[in-house]
Amino acid sequence: MEKYFDLAYIAESVPLLVPFLKVTLMVTGLSVLFGSILGFILAIMKLGNSKIAKKFAYGYTTILRCTPSIVLLFLTYYGIPAIAGNFGINLNDIDKAVFVVITFSLQFAAAMSEVIRSSLESIDRGQFEAAVSVGLSHTQAYRRIILPQAFVVALPNFGNSLLELMKEGSLAYTIGLIDIMGKAELIIAGNYNTHALEIYLALAVIYWTLSIVIEKLFLKLEKAFSKGKQVITTA
Amino acid sequence: MLEITNIHKSFGENEILKGVDLKIDKGDVVVILGPSGSGKTTLLRCINFLEKADQGHAVFGDIDVSLRTASKKVIHGIRQKIAFVFQNYNLFTNKTALENVTEGLVIGRKIAKAEAYEIGKKALDKVGLSEKYDAYPSELSGGQQQRVGIARAVALNPDIILFDEPTSALDPELVGEVLTVMKQIAKEGTTMLVVTHEMSFAKDVANKVIFMDAGVIVEEGSPKEIFVNPKEERTKKFLKRVLPEDYIFYI
Amino acid sequence: MSEGLDYKFLVETFFVALSGVPITLFITIVALIVALPLGFLLALSRINQIPVLNRLAQIYVSFVRGTPVIIQIFIIYSSVPLMLTSIFERYDVEMKVYDVNPIWYAFIVFSLNTTAILIEVFRSAISTVSKGQLEASYAVGLTTAQAFRRIIIPQTLVVALPNICTATVNLIKATSLGYALSLQEITLRAKVAANVGYNYVEAYIDIFLVYLILCSLVEYLFKRYEKRVSRFKAVSI
Repeated sequence: MEKYFDLAYIAESVPLLVPFLKVTLMVTGLSVLFGSILGFILAIMKLGNSKIAKKFAYGYTTILRCTPSIVLLFLTYYGIPAIAGNFGINLNDIDKAVFVVITFSLQFAAAMSEVIRSSLESIDRGQFEAAVSVGLSHTQAYRRIILPQAFVVALPNFGNSLLELMKEGSLAYTIGLIDIMGKAELIIAGNYNTHALEIYLALAVIYWTLSIVIEKLFLKLEKAFSKGKQVITTA
Repeated sequence: MLEITNIHKSFGENEILKGVDLKIDKGDVVVILGPSGSGKTTLLRCINFLEKADQGHAVFGDIDVSLRTASKKVIHGIRQKIAFVFQNYNLFTNKTALENVTEGLVIGRKIAKAEAYEIGKKALDKVGLSEKYDAYPSELSGGQQQRVGIARAVALNPDIILFDEPTSALDPELVGEVLTVMKQIAKEGTTMLVVTHEMSFAKDVANKVIFMDAGVIVEEGSPKEIFVNPKEERTKKFLKRVLPEDYIFYI
Repeated sequence: MSEGLDYKFLVETFFVALSGVPITLFITIVALIVALPLGFLLALSRINQIPVLNRLAQIYVSFVRGTPVIIQIFIIYSSVPLMLTSIFERYDVEMKVYDVNPIWYAFIVFSLNTTAILIEVFRSAISTVSKGQLEASYAVGLTTAQAFRRIIIPQTLVVALPNICTATVNLIKATSLGYALSLQEITLRAKVAANVGYNYVEAYIDIFLVYLILCSLVEYLFKRYEKRVSRFKAVSI
């Protein structure tokens, strides 16, 4: 059997794939947006006084942290239309991207609830006490003193979670989304499964580059927001 | 100006304050002494509601409240009249020195920014930090941070300033600069309630000294009365321990 | 459209899904056995800045953490068989590449992946254990090996344990992608059963439940181990 590895093919496939990066990024972006909002609400529930809310928020986090992405994907992709079907609503024509965004928003929210919660808890109580001692109301104390500081603490973790989300999002092709992975699979199928390795390497290069860019971006952001704090640098 | 009656406060099983009465007049500089665990810090924190007392009554000028059931609004109002200086400074780490000092003025009291900045700068000048308006707490030494903390309190022009062991967290060589500032504002007539271990401050500046032990006030009086003629056994024991060589003090 | 869940199928398939657990655990454990010591050693080489190894490890970690697992799986699955074929031909081995159990590819991918993750985990854990501990060990006459075995490593483990737990749970979840290697693990078995009657929802509910139970169990065990090992830590009030 003749098998040859074409190095040049890798470079050739990159331009074929890059246009579909838009889909990948859009899905990631929307999931981050919705997931952050939901995650913030969950974090408040975890820090609040209501026992029921606390249990729910922690339970939600545990369940989603223990569920593999493709399982969650398929559950929403098959499950939601099935449930809707029982109410007579036909969801067959909805864009697959919707299900992808729902899935990863739910997943991101679980991660965010922990990031936000721990960042708020890490702020020394003395900051709050000093704030109310000079006459700020509770709300003002949180808005002007606590949250800005918590934001800086949360930033690196947020960046990590964002990268994780982008990588997990690569599984969206399994329900048929034509993002960069989906396109890659189409190309491979079109080639009768030859040159698969080259395509995967091209994908790897694209993702790797993206990751490095995002990492560097977040390092810059951390520096910019850290005025007034001493930044810990590791080797 | 401030009268507290019958404060009780427990943390879980431990009763820390077992019925304390306190009266402060305008212009008083009151120092509270006592061994650790005596409840001095808890007393202070109950006064500006950082802790909620289990029992007790307070009269702040013309405001009359029960310490246990005071509403958020009342507490907020009282905090406009009382300033607090913390043992570990608690400067807002995300704000410059000047912003720290003016935060309460601009946001808490809704004073115009320009005016607040003038007040803030004057306060920082008073504590000797005219060069450090735009420095962040992480750029300042401990002594400088605490002086900013005092400036922050002074700028609010409060009726009383509460000091919770202001120099305990400082390296010895930095204690002096903070005490100097405190002595200065005392001279200017500020009403102060100070918990401290710095006996020199109690001797030189205070006009009233209170000795607390195990949740109650054991003895109180002028510095001369406490340091030269302590009446209670516990007071004598304490003074002997902290000022062994210098037990007798002459004004 | 389904009128409701096929409960009989739901229960049956649960056990089908469960039957995939041994393979999942097998892969997880093998990956951990390889990755824990390897990750620790490479973390040390990063911290001590050993010339060539440091750079290689850095690039390796960056690649593994910068690319999705599924792509890593596909790369290994597409390349290793090719390499094996040429090795077999050169050394005249009688084996066919197709006879190689896919689980070997799983071992390779997940070991490589977990090692990279653990390098980062150990790097931060080791740096929090203060240098003074090593110096004090030398001062009382311990050799480097003894110092590491008795003082440094135990302290590092305690700090790293929560992150190792997270890495393990992520590893278990990642094995769900083993279907791409035709591995008879949890997801694939249940999916195959579902294909018969198109009972996808039930199948995925079962898969979801199995993973939930498995991961919760692992987290619980780790927490208990953490408590035991943390005895020497000071309780912060």
